[in-house]
Formats: sequence, C-alpha cells, structure tokens
Amino acid sequence: MNESLETDALSQVGEVGLVEPKDFVSEEPFTFEDGSTIPGLTLRYETYGRLNAAGDNAIFVCHALSGDHHAAGIHSLRDRKTGWWNNIIGPGKALDTTRYFVVCSNCLGGCQGSTGPMSIDPRTGRPYGMRFPQVTIRDMVRADKRLVDHLGIRKLHAVVGGSMGGMRVLQFGIEYPDLIERMIPMATTARESAQAIAFNVVGREAIMQDPKWCGGDYAEGEGPNVGLAVARMMAHITYLSDESMARKFGRRKRVKDDTEQFEVESYLLYQGQSFINRFDANTYIYITRALDHFDLAGTYGSLESAFAPVKARTLCVAFTSDWLFPPKQNREFVLALLRAGKSASYAELEMDLGHDSFLVDAPALYDLVRDFLAN
Amino acid sequence: MAASSSKLREKRTVEMRVIGGWVDPGSRVLDLGCGRGVLLEYLVKRKGVQGIGVDRDFSKIAACVHRGLTVYQGDLEEFLRSFPDGFFDRVICSRTLEELADPSAVIGEALRVGRCVTVGFVNHGFWKNRLAILLHGRRPRNEVYTTPWWKTRPGNPVSIVDFEAFCRENRFRIHRRVWLKGDWESTCRIFPNLLAGYAVYELTREQQ
Repeated sequence: MNESLETDALSQVGEVGLVEPKDFVSEEPFTFEDGSTIPGLTLRYETYGRLNAAGDNAIFVCHALSGDHHAAGIHSLRDRKTGWWNNIIGPGKALDTTRYFVVCSNCLGGCQGSTGPMSIDPRTGRPYGMRFPQVTIRDMVRADKRLVDHLGIRKLHAVVGGSMGGMRVLQFGIEYPDLIERMIPMATTARESAQAIAFNVVGREAIMQDPKWCGGDYAEGEGPNVGLAVARMMAHITYLSDESMARKFGRRKRVKDDTEQFEVESYLLYQGQSFINRFDANTYIYITRALDHFDLAGTYGSLESAFAPVKARTLCVAFTSDWLFPPKQNREFVLALLRAGKSASYAELEMDLGHDSFLVDAPALYDLVRDFLAN
Repeated sequence: MAASSSKLREKRTVEMRVIGGWVDPGSRVLDLGCGRGVLLEYLVKRKGVQGIGVDRDFSKIAACVHRGLTVYQGDLEEFLRSFPDGFFDRVICSRTLEELADPSAVIGEALRVGRCVTVGFVNHGFWKNRLAILLHGRRPRNEVYTTPWWKTRPGNPVSIVDFEAFCRENRFRIHRRVWLKGDWESTCRIFPNLLAGYAVYELTREQQ
C-alpha cells in the first residue's frame, strides 16, 4: 500500500453529519410478482452527497433484513447512534460522498416509513397486516427503480449491499442492465440453504405462535413482542460466530436485578428488546419469506441464464467466518457470472465476526471497494 | 537490492513479451496464480484480452482490483473445475508451476478448460543454479529467488528436462517452446537444460 496515498485519504475523511429522511410517494399502482396490486407506494429514503449534472455518479445502497434507509449520519445532534453503514459512507470514505451521490431507501414491505404491512390500505382504511401482497426481492428492486427515476439518476455507478442487500444488488443488475454499471454484493447468496431457511421458519413460528399476533391484526405497539424478540435473538446468533461470541462474552456472568445472567444472555435479551421497539412483526414475516423464496437459479432456470442480461462489472466480497451465507455460496454465483461471460471479481476477507463482518470497521474492505469504484 | 529489483523488472518485461506474443488480441485468457496482476494488466492493456486472474492470497487480489482487473480469490483446481471444456482461449501458468500441489491435475484441467496452455518457469537445471548447490551447497539466491528458503512459499523446483518428461508422461503435446538464457533476454538454442534460465512452453491437448 502506498503510504502517502493512505494518509492522504485519511486526512480527508469526514462525516455525513445531520441528515433528514425524505418520502417518495408514487401514485402509480404497483403490481407485485404474485399478481396483486396496490394503488401506490411510499419509499422513505436518505441521500448523501450530490448528483452530478450527467446524473451518473449515484450509488444505491441496499439494506439487509433488519436495516433501513438511515445508512449514514445522524438525525439530530443528540443522536448517539449513526446510520447503520456510517463507517463506509461519508466524505473521503469508501463510498465517498464528495464524489458520489449515495441513496438508501427502506425497502418495499419494510416498516420504517416505506409501504408495508403496517401501512394503511386506502381501500379499507385499515392496516394491510397479512393482507399485504407477498413482496419479493424483485418487487423491492422494481419499487426502488421508481425512486431512482424520480431522483433523476441516469446511471447507477454502483449498487452495493450485504446479506439481503446483496440479493437486491444481484436482482438490480439482472433487472436493469443498462442502468447498473457496478454491483458490489457482500456476504450474500443467490439462494438460501435449507439451514438458513430453517432459522427463518423458526423465527416466523415464534411470532405467529405468540397469542398477541392475532393473525397479523394487532394494534401498533401491542403486537407479538415476545415472539418477535425471540425471533430476533435467534437470528442474531446466526449473524455472529463461535469465535466472536467467545471473545465478546465467553462464559462471563453479570448480576442484574439480583439474578445472575450470562453476558451473552443479557446481550441477546437486550437485542430482542431493542428490536421490538423499532421493528414490525408482520414485516419480519414478509421479508424473511422474501429472503427464503429468493432463488435466481430456480426462477430463471439456471444462474447463468439469470445473469445473461447483466452488463455491470461485479465485485463480490465474502467473509471466512460467515456461516449464514458462507463464502461457498458467494463463490457459486461469481463463478456463474464468469461462466455467463461477465466480469466478476471475488475476494474473501479473513474476519472472525461471522455474517455481520460486512458491517464492522474493516479498512481492507474499504480499500477494495474504493479501488473497484474508481476503475 | 534496487539493482536486483530493476533486473527482475527487466526479466518480467521479457517474460511478458514472450508470453504476450502468443496471446491473440481480444481472446479470453485465464491467468492461474496471477499474483499482483502485472502480466494480466499488460495483456488487458496491450492485447485487449478478456482476462481473469486467480490467486489464493487476499493482498494479491486487492492489488489486482486496484489495477482494475477481474480476479478470483480461491483454489486453482476448484476454479478450473467450475468451467466447461474449452471455455478459455488460453490458460497461463507463469511461474506458478513449481508451487502447484498437483501439477498433473492442474495442467490437465487447464488443458480441458483452455484451448491451449502457456507454462513459464524458472529452469532449475540452469548452470548457475546447479553451481549454487555444487559450490556452496545452498539453495540459489538471485534476483528471482530473493528470499531465503524459510521465507519462501513451499516450492517444487523443476528443470526443462523434468518438465518435458512430465509432458510426455501426461501426454500433453508441446506445441511450441522458447528457452531464454540466464538474462531471460536472448534465446538459447543448445543445451537448454544447462544454459537456459527460463522456459516458456505452449501445450495443447494430445490430438485424438
């Protein structure tokens, strides 16, 4: 690594700072893959940086299952937590907001402001609940395309995302080959393994077996909190690794309210509790189903035929300790892209933080992404 | 050190010219053990090839991404197994040969997925390399082998005679070959196993 280049980049690193979410409202009816139609849709989104006159410096960031549109910066000066991918988005960072116009939306079917099961169905005046159409990864991408057009973006310099975000990245490249110049999927898969589906099944069961679920018709704040928390706690284990849990918690215990708890126990309980304050149980059901049914080979006959229309160049990054969407599954679709005659690179980072490795501070990842975006 | 690294650069340039000379413009090329991508970048820029490099090492992959190349981090054999017959116009194996765990399997697979295979390797039968052993009883150290053995990846030194025996044994057809003298510059025509420092071979599948 060139040292002077590195210090140069470091000296220019800044923060996105205060950001404000916006709502894009499309009044055009939207038809889902399952054939059902809703009269219109809203996508909540944030942008960082400026779109250039040619409209070709935009990067679309795709969030994962429990993520949202708030990818970087803070909403108020009292915010202690920044957006979920603040370490990679900002002035001088890998997704450099002085060069790129970075966009992140809450996906269709989400619960952070975009149209989803919590939204009011204008035809009945009641929340959709489980009457919401079964959203797919492709539906999410097709909805996002409306936002991309609305923002005046002519070319996406890149689409970037990990986990479910990586699935959306791949679908973007297939669906809109002329729009997408680069794809950066991370820690993802072209279809989940039985094991990954199994974890989602148990999560959904935990929610639906909670008596407060009521078939999805619960009042806001009075939903299946126990089920949702359990689903989140279990899923959270799949995002970590044995090594990272051993290091972070080991067998250490702590006393809370006169009761002795394992540290890992109180951590997971906290994760579960904080999740129910920000996430909707029906959305959890819908989005995990979207994940489970995502199957590029199954949908298009083979991965090669799925990728046939792709024009983008791809950089896929996988993480050695990711056992949810392990390197092998990432390699599988990269090899298929190559067999389809596309330009696709694959890099594997040795990190022991499991599936969530793509979210943590990783300078090697930043350099890779920065270099790929520059070429 | 600076002198020897510039010498190495010269040698690499010659190697690129020889290997590059056999590459058809615009063809689909696979570089096995692409390292930091010096050769691949040359082929992409000068020959307009559609090139893919494969290497195990993350830092090498990162260097290739920096150069704007298409690269794949992983096992060579596993990579080769993932492609149909004749997918690549040419597979290049430049100074990778002696590090292969199973050279027959890799070259065999390379000949399946590629229409031809270029193999470039340092000739360990070269007289200076022999002399290093004979006089000093030590492994050769020069501008190509800059590090002592304990700082070098495990290698399996091979000579020109060894390599040709290997090709005969495995029924790999030698389509053409170039032997270069110790300077890797001028062509060596006689006693290659003794006088050539570097050898480049083009292999094809044995005619049915």
